[in-house]
Amino acid sequence: MPSVYSGAETRVWTFGLDRMSERLKLQVRVELLPMAASAVVTFSLNILSAIVALLTSYFAYRFSRLVDNSVLKAISVGFMLLGIGLIVDAGTSLVSGKTLVESFAGRELILLASFTYLTVQMVAYVVIAVGYAFSAYGKRIGNVAPVVLAGAAALGLYRFSLVSYFVTFILLAFVVFQGFLIHSRGRTRFSSIVLLGFSLILVAHFVLLVSVLTLGSGLFLIGTGVQFLGFVSLLAFVVRSEAVGAG
Amino acid sequence: MAQAERQRSVLRINLDILNAVRDEGDAKPTHILYKANLSHERMTRYLDDLTSKGLIEMKQEGENRTYRLTPKGVSFLIEMRRAESFVQGFGLNI
Repeated sequence: MPSVYSGAETRVWTFGLDRMSERLKLQVRVELLPMAASAVVTFSLNILSAIVALLTSYFAYRFSRLVDNSVLKAISVGFMLLGIGLIVDAGTSLVSGKTLVESFAGRELILLASFTYLTVQMVAYVVIAVGYAFSAYGKRIGNVAPVVLAGAAALGLYRFSLVSYFVTFILLAFVVFQGFLIHSRGRTRFSSIVLLGFSLILVAHFVLLVSVLTLGSGLFLIGTGVQFLGFVSLLAFVVRSEAVGAG
Repeated sequence: MAQAERQRSVLRINLDILNAVRDEGDAKPTHILYKANLSHERMTRYLDDLTSKGLIEMKQEGENRTYRLTPKGVSFLIEMRRAESFVQGFGLNI
C-alpha cells in the first residue's frame, strides 16, 4: 500500500478490502480525513437526498393511482429504491471506518451494506430508465432491462463498485437524453426542473466514478454534494407541482 | 377533430368537461359541448357518469339545464391539476 495511507487505513487494507470495493475504501478515507465533519456532511447530504427521493416516490405513487399510468409507477418504485439505498449508505457512512478498523466481525456487515446500496441504486436507475424507455419506445424496450442488469452483475463480480457506478452513469445519461428530448418537444417549467435535477445527478455520478477510479476523497465529497443539488431540484419540482393545485 | 377526440383519454375528456363547468359556474350543455369538443351523445354519457360519481350536479329550471361542480368535484379538479403538473415533469400526459 502507498505510504500516504494512515496506520488505520493500512489496517483496513490488511482485511483484504482492496480487492473488494474501491468505493468502500474511499468511504473509509473520507471518514478518516482530518476534517472530522466530512463523514457527517456525507451522512447529512445522503439523508436529505433520501427524504427527497422518498417524497418524489410518494407523489409519483399517489398520482399513478389517480391517472393509472405504468410509467409513473416505475418512477415511484425507482425513487423508493433510491431513497432506501441512500438511507443504507448514510447509515454506514458514519461508522464504516471505525467498524472496519476495530471490528473484524463487523467487516462483512459494512461490505453487505455497501453492496446493498450500490445494487439498489443501480436497480433504481434501471427502473427509472425503463420507465422513460416505455414512454418513448413502447413495450419492446422492456426486454433490455434484464440484459443490462445481468451484464452489470456479471462484470460486477470483478469490480463491483466501479462497474455499478459506470452502469448507473450510463443509465442516467439515457434518462437525461430522454428528458432532453421530452423537454425539447414540449417544454414546460416542470420538465425543465426535472431535467436539471437528473442532469445534476448525472454530473454527480461522473464525479463519483472518477473519485472511485482515483480514490479521491475530495471528489467523493463534491460528487455527493452535486447529487444532493440534483435532489434539491427534484424537491423544487415536487413543491411547485403541488402549488399548482392550490393556485 | 374526430381523430383528436379518439386520442384523448377518458380521464382527459372528463377533465376538459370539469374545467368547462368550473369556468362557467353554472354551465349550459352547449357550452360544455363546445369547450370539451364532444358530440352531443358522448357529452351526455360523460355528464351522466360525472353526475353519478358526485363530481358535478345538474340543476333543472324549466327548459334550462345547467351543471356545476360539487365540493367533491372541486377537490378532484385540484388533485388532477397537481397530477397533471407532476406527470408533465416526466414528459407524460394524462
